[in-house]
Amino acid sequence: MGSLMLGVDALAFLEKEGFPVLRSFLATSEDDAAGKAAEIGFPVTLKLSSPDVIHKTEADGIRASLRDESEVRQGFRQIVGSFATDQPEKRLEGVMVQEQGGGVEVIVGMATDEQFGPVLMFGLGGIFVEAMKDVSFRLIPMEASDAKDMMEELKGRQVLENPRSGSVDLPAVQNLLVGISEFITHHPEIREMDLNPVFVSSHGARICDARIMVL
Amino acid sequence: MNEKLVQVFSPGSVAVIGASNSFDKLGYHVMKSLTGNYHGKVFPINPKSDRVWGLASYPSLEAVPGDVHLAVIAVPARMVPDTLHACGRKGVRGVVLITAGFREIEDDGGRVLEEEIKEIAGQYGLPIIGPNTFGFVNLSSGVNASFTSEFSRIERGGVALISQSGGICHLCGFLAIEQRIAMSKLMSLGNRCNVDFPEVLTHLVEKDSSTRVIALYIEGLDDPRRLLDVAKSLRGRKPIIAYKAGKSEKGDSASRFHTGSLAGNHAIWKGALRQAGILEVTGTEELLDTAKAIDSCSLPGGTGMAVLSGQAGPGMIASDALEPAGLKLSRFSEATQRRINDLLPPIAIRTNPVDMGPAWYDPKNIIAILKAVIDDEHTDGVIFLAMYASANLNLAEGMVEYMKAADSFQKPVIACFTAPPGIWDEPIEALDRKKGVAILPTPERAVQAMANLWKVSSLSKGRGVKTWDR
Repeated sequence: MGSLMLGVDALAFLEKEGFPVLRSFLATSEDDAAGKAAEIGFPVTLKLSSPDVIHKTEADGIRASLRDESEVRQGFRQIVGSFATDQPEKRLEGVMVQEQGGGVEVIVGMATDEQFGPVLMFGLGGIFVEAMKDVSFRLIPMEASDAKDMMEELKGRQVLENPRSGSVDLPAVQNLLVGISEFITHHPEIREMDLNPVFVSSHGARICDARIMVL
Repeated sequence: MNEKLVQVFSPGSVAVIGASNSFDKLGYHVMKSLTGNYHGKVFPINPKSDRVWGLASYPSLEAVPGDVHLAVIAVPARMVPDTLHACGRKGVRGVVLITAGFREIEDDGGRVLEEEIKEIAGQYGLPIIGPNTFGFVNLSSGVNASFTSEFSRIERGGVALISQSGGICHLCGFLAIEQRIAMSKLMSLGNRCNVDFPEVLTHLVEKDSSTRVIALYIEGLDDPRRLLDVAKSLRGRKPIIAYKAGKSEKGDSASRFHTGSLAGNHAIWKGALRQAGILEVTGTEELLDTAKAIDSCSLPGGTGMAVLSGQAGPGMIASDALEPAGLKLSRFSEATQRRINDLLPPIAIRTNPVDMGPAWYDPKNIIAILKAVIDDEHTDGVIFLAMYASANLNLAEGMVEYMKAADSFQKPVIACFTAPPGIWDEPIEALDRKKGVAILPTPERAVQAMANLWKVSSLSKGRGVKTWDR
């Protein structure tokens, strides 16, 4: 079955491998959270960290755009409090304090197919991936031109080019896709991976959350 | 393998093992196909009769005097291993194994038997097309090594259709006759003992000068990467298009990952085909239309289209179809517009789409308009639409006359000529697939085929795919 890497661990792992991630720390107390937030710089996001919870939003485990220490302290207490009340049987590791991400949300993922072996996926985040399945695939390894094609063949690609939101940093997405392809080529022990969401702004792509299955 | 396949597909001599005079045996129908227009030697093998289909028959392959390039086998499955040994000893270059009853059947004995023949084939280095195939037809060299003799009626041309299904070959082969699609090869790979898509692709690209476009029908492969890697290595040499059946969108429902649950087999195929430079089509019509257009026309250098129509309506629906297909109406240069204005009175729309109605009785002017828009630097291709009406009876004939002296068009022209059966048949036949023109049944299909020509052009150059899938 392999082992599952989540949250802070997965992000730390990816950062070590040279991928761009949002700065993230695990805080186990309110004071700790306030200290980490100050270190990162405001605004920050707090996220519930539990190996038993997949959907943090549904568990009321996210507080975003916290602008100062008091908001962080309050957010920490709320997350821990509602978790203890609603899901007493589940384990709590702590609360992740994360640099606030911004831009368009995309998903980058990989899976190991029985026939094709490792494949890479790219899609727009949120409703686009959930409801419309607007994603594109390529076999790993792939080239930079394939990464460009993956972006261009999305039905909702205009979201990436929307003049109102400002064009996003497409070369950064391309680099990330090619980087993941290369990385997986050299690490066959990685069987499945979701980088979801990845925030793409006008300057750079940053991984906000990740799940990695290692054999 | 590649050297042997050259002789297998264009054999100087063919032995039919299981050749028969009785209609209910497949060996009868194979003989019927081979005694049609094949110019090489045919050796019927049948231990029980002296003559089959009027030819001297031999009791065994050993008894055949001289070389046998191809053996077509239509004997019961249990006799196949011995028959293959005989082929190996005789030095046969390759085999079409029509016999069914191998791994495609439920009984496990079939799988075991297939393992056995694979081993025998390996022992002699014997390429086997099949088992469980109707055979192949090589129109370029006049060999019909199949059990369907009527395939010999397909016109000779540049389309090679390689299929995982014999039924699809029969569907497409007869449509090809009806729709004037000209083929080089028609082949079902059956169970793909040791001649699989990669082997045939390599042969068609490297060794077969008559094939201009390769159309694949794929159901499912154990090792799809082998096909994709070969296609990628051949990228840009000859256009490859594929119709992939089995469109299950279901990913791994047990996966706790978004990616895993979205990674349906077809979604991956779609991306993988594009990655390998293969154009995916999604229907029989599209497969045949696209293959015909590639075989007949130049590839466009861009997306700007001129629409020339004898009647406004068909021109309008063709124009409507352009944008969703990733194409656009071109804007004529001033010089081109002046030329059109000289040729057409101002009683119709003369900008793109051009309503050629007023010139309808003057095929010379129609051809002149066609040439003018093709010469325009903003035109990358032309959609040409002509519907019959009693009064323009002589249009198609007239165009044939004027086309005789014309050079081949260096930009693709896809046309629709619609008329009651029997009226424009001959001129349509004379215009179709000549001088860079392909004729298709409807404006929408013409536009789709044109869009695919553009995609094939982009894929062969490894260019981006923007505006696809709208």
